[in-house]
Amino acid sequence: MWMGILLAVLGLGAGIVIGFNIPMVLPQDYAKYMSVAALAALDSVFGGIRAAMEEKFNHGIFVSGFFSNALLAAGLTFIGDRLGIDLYLAAVVAFGVRLFQNLAIIRRYILKHKIK
Amino acid sequence: MTGKTTGYVSIMLVALILGMMLAVQFRVVNRAPAGISTDRAQEVVDELKQIDRERESLHKEISDLNYKLEQVNQGKNEAILALKSELEKTRMSAGLLTVTGPGLEVVLDNPDKGEGSRLSPGVFIIYAEDLLKVVNELWGGGAEAISINSQRIVATTEIRLAAPFININTKRVVPPYQVLAIGDPDTLANALELPGGLGEYLRDLGIEITVEKHQELTVPAFTGN
Repeated sequence: MWMGILLAVLGLGAGIVIGFNIPMVLPQDYAKYMSVAALAALDSVFGGIRAAMEEKFNHGIFVSGFFSNALLAAGLTFIGDRLGIDLYLAAVVAFGVRLFQNLAIIRRYILKHKIK
Repeated sequence: MTGKTTGYVSIMLVALILGMMLAVQFRVVNRAPAGISTDRAQEVVDELKQIDRERESLHKEISDLNYKLEQVNQGKNEAILALKSELEKTRMSAGLLTVTGPGLEVVLDNPDKGEGSRLSPGVFIIYAEDLLKVVNELWGGGAEAISINSQRIVATTEIRLAAPFININTKRVVPPYQVLAIGDPDTLANALELPGGLGEYLRDLGIEITVEKHQELTVPAFTGN
């Protein structure tokens, strides 16, 4: 499991480096979609970490959840823009709540292990 | 073991993509510190359209006002011309301009004293009233401008006896009195030479009066007191 975390941190660092160095800049219009997608992806990652802590980690579910959540969030935002509804708020609220829940569970889990 | 490896690979891939997304997003947000939301952009675009419309209407107003201004300017020019011609006329009537044109020259002189005239020489001179009558008759005959010995007759001109001279425009004038009148020479001459008229009357008094028609006479301007 620690190997997984190490790899995740490594991947994150590499991704950040690549992201800061690619010459292309996302147009301002798509920044909104990207932000919601990033939020969904973050939620998926924390969900994955939680699942790993609970020893229920399944990488199929993890990977598919990651991509589908990100795309769905971005797509929802796009559709909301076309319809004139701020649907991205729904994504922000849903993923935000889940993010905090996951964080809370991870925290408790870590504390339990420390105490043990 | 292979399951574990793919798991690690998937985790790493996901982390990589997440990192990229975060970094790209960070850059986009940082690039425009005062990030413009789409709502704001929409608002600004609406405002721009409104202002464009306003500008167009203002342009129309400008051309409209320019047109009006042009018309007013034309009117102004006409008004100025009218005023100028009015002023010219008034100045001529007031005697402030030298007037040239066809007219009549009337010369009045005291009778020759040596030639035993009917009246005693010491008594007789031309009175101011005689000159006034002549001037009056010439005005009546349609004269536009009159001068006596180059003193222009204007509204304030006096012709009065200030013995032994006659004062016109407070200037002394002495015989012979040369009266110049601008106007139709024939009409003016007729006014004077009417049978039983002023000319005859003055001649009867013994005044030497000669009337001469001119096609070109110059009456000087009023020079002031």
